[in-house]
Amino acid sequence: MIELNELTDAAQKAFPADKLSPARDASWELTAEMGWLMVRLPEDDGGLGLDREASTAIHYEMGRVLSSAPLIPAQLGLQAVVESKTLADRADWLERLSAGEYAPLHMLPAKVEVAANGTVSGTVGGVFDGDMAVAVVAMLPTGYTLIPTDAQGVELTERQIWDPSRRIFDLVLTGYAPDPALMLSDVEGAAAMHDVLGPEAHLALAADCLGGATAALAMTVEYLGMRKQFDRPIAMFQALKHRVADMKTRIVATEALLWSRARDPEAARLQIAGLKALATDVYQFVTEEMIQLHGGIGLTEEHQCHLFMKRAMLNLQLCGSLDWLNERVGQDALAEMA
Amino acid sequence: MTDNADLEALRSEVRGFLDAEKPAGWRDASRTQEDFVQTQRGWFAKLVKAGYAIPHWPAEFPGGGRSLAEQKVIYEEIAKADCPRLLLSFVSTYHAFATLHECASEEQKAKYMPRILEGETWCQGFSEPGAGSDLAALKCKAVREVRDGQEVYVVNGQKVWSTMAQFADMCLLLVRTSSEGVKQAGITYLLMDMKTPGVSVSPIHQIQGDEEFAEIFLDNVVIPVEQRVGEEGKGWAVAQATLASERGLTLMELGYRMRGALSRVAALIREHGREQDRGVLRDFGALVSEVDAVCAIADQFLDNRIKGIERIGDASIVKNSYSRALRAYAKLGVRLGGMDEQYVKPITFGDLNTGNWMADFMNSYAWTIAGGSEEVQRNIIAERMLEMPREPKHWTL
Repeated sequence: MIELNELTDAAQKAFPADKLSPARDASWELTAEMGWLMVRLPEDDGGLGLDREASTAIHYEMGRVLSSAPLIPAQLGLQAVVESKTLADRADWLERLSAGEYAPLHMLPAKVEVAANGTVSGTVGGVFDGDMAVAVVAMLPTGYTLIPTDAQGVELTERQIWDPSRRIFDLVLTGYAPDPALMLSDVEGAAAMHDVLGPEAHLALAADCLGGATAALAMTVEYLGMRKQFDRPIAMFQALKHRVADMKTRIVATEALLWSRARDPEAARLQIAGLKALATDVYQFVTEEMIQLHGGIGLTEEHQCHLFMKRAMLNLQLCGSLDWLNERVGQDALAEMA
Repeated sequence: MTDNADLEALRSEVRGFLDAEKPAGWRDASRTQEDFVQTQRGWFAKLVKAGYAIPHWPAEFPGGGRSLAEQKVIYEEIAKADCPRLLLSFVSTYHAFATLHECASEEQKAKYMPRILEGETWCQGFSEPGAGSDLAALKCKAVREVRDGQEVYVVNGQKVWSTMAQFADMCLLLVRTSSEGVKQAGITYLLMDMKTPGVSVSPIHQIQGDEEFAEIFLDNVVIPVEQRVGEEGKGWAVAQATLASERGLTLMELGYRMRGALSRVAALIREHGREQDRGVLRDFGALVSEVDAVCAIADQFLDNRIKGIERIGDASIVKNSYSRALRAYAKLGVRLGGMDEQYVKPITFGDLNTGNWMADFMNSYAWTIAGGSEEVQRNIIAERMLEMPREPKHWTL
């Protein structure tokens, strides 16, 4: 059993805090070398068989350095294959994915239509780093499936996004005929698959947010201590200190919830969805404050503040927006408290 | 060392007791302060008898000698069963106990500790009109004299924000015996009988109609020197023991209670037919997760204490997280209730999440102001946890 702090130490050595958004390809190779692609792959399937707490710790560290390697969609894609009861070459796929081939789960909704002849047209949104993907795990109206990126009727279009630490593609389908051998679930199985992948995605994104927020706070505290006006470090001003204290308070409380959910195998789907909503809200708040507290330098491209803010803003939209998730959590809590 | 099986055994034992002895309808029985005090006294006596009132006391007292992990179990179960919080006896079982236990003479311990278990209540005479966040600036003056051959302190001054002083038998009193040197150095700690001539108490009428606090006026009050805890001029250190006595159980308990009381918001949403209002559902959902985070941080704080890895500032984070959520909770209720909440309804004493939303809203300030204001907690977090520089100490107008 790998201890959590060993995992964290290794991550911090491999991805030092002073190097934000290190180059994607090198980072991806390093992640594969560290075994992180196989963290959640069961031991029976040749993986490390670690739990949610371990993957949460990794995503937290990757959030801290604004990692550009698409570990979250990769882990989710792999988990979809693990969960699949219908994929013909499951073992083969698992071997390929743990060796470093990349088949991400898309992180934004699919807007597609299925024609009478079964072909699919439309857009599957939120494919991270589509340029390196061999296939995409997509949720279609017919169920979850693997869509090879070189198949007939499949095209990847990169979308320019504000967040420079990520690359996002649309998977555009034009009369694509799904390969029955590549189906990961049927329609009925899709809901069960969704119930497994949803919490995993939300937990990973919450960890990314809180790792990033923690780094953003540390940078802000350091800057306030260094920047002098009126012959003193501006960190001495209570008006600024109190804002920083609120940043710290919200991060720490949300982090306590992150670890308690990560350690609780019984945590309900919407409890984790609520955590994701809260964590993205906190990340946005912290990075918003970060820029303001940095003053003019926070508005420059040369400074790193904007990188955190842009990632926070994107995270708000991935796998369910703040409003949508809060509404679902509210609805669920209301029903439960009948 | 308590292992998990023991803790679970304790848990079911406490549950069994609560099932049998839970004071049903205690909220309805707490509509006036007199009734509230009666309810509190009865519940405290029951808990003493069952051995759950003072789990944090030493083992020589029946029901004492419990580990922090065991205390946590007891508090969790009492909160989850929605039984009353021990408010009236809080100062006596925590503040007075810690002061006596850690700093008092053997005679003082032997005299006062058993009386606490018999129901004697204490109040705290610390804050003054001019000494709130800056407690060490207190001015209540004590002069040492000999009267009738006995060495005494003659005390004059005023104390304020003393929780339930109007019902207290005894008072933990901070007085100034010297104005020389740093302000902390001239403070002395006394144990005062509230029936001493010259002591008068006047309740403070709060904005929501409660009278949870009182002012204490001291007019030539004579207190024997034997009632002093620690040396003369060393009271500040004793006061630290008093203030450190509460070990995080309260906020954990209050977090669980707020979690349970979310059902009041749910009921309100239904009552006003807002079940399909997406904006309301969003706000409710956000509140649910925020309250979950409060429970998680309070839980983590206690676990860290149990493991002995608590850091400076941790308690401030828990307190500010709780008070922020409590305010949000009450405000949502006021908003959803609309005009209904502007008509005065009877308040419930001794509960923070009563569903009387305006009263709950007003009461929520107790948590952002009392026990170290939100702003003082922010200073602690920024200066002592994040190591940001302090403001210069000296300044002139």
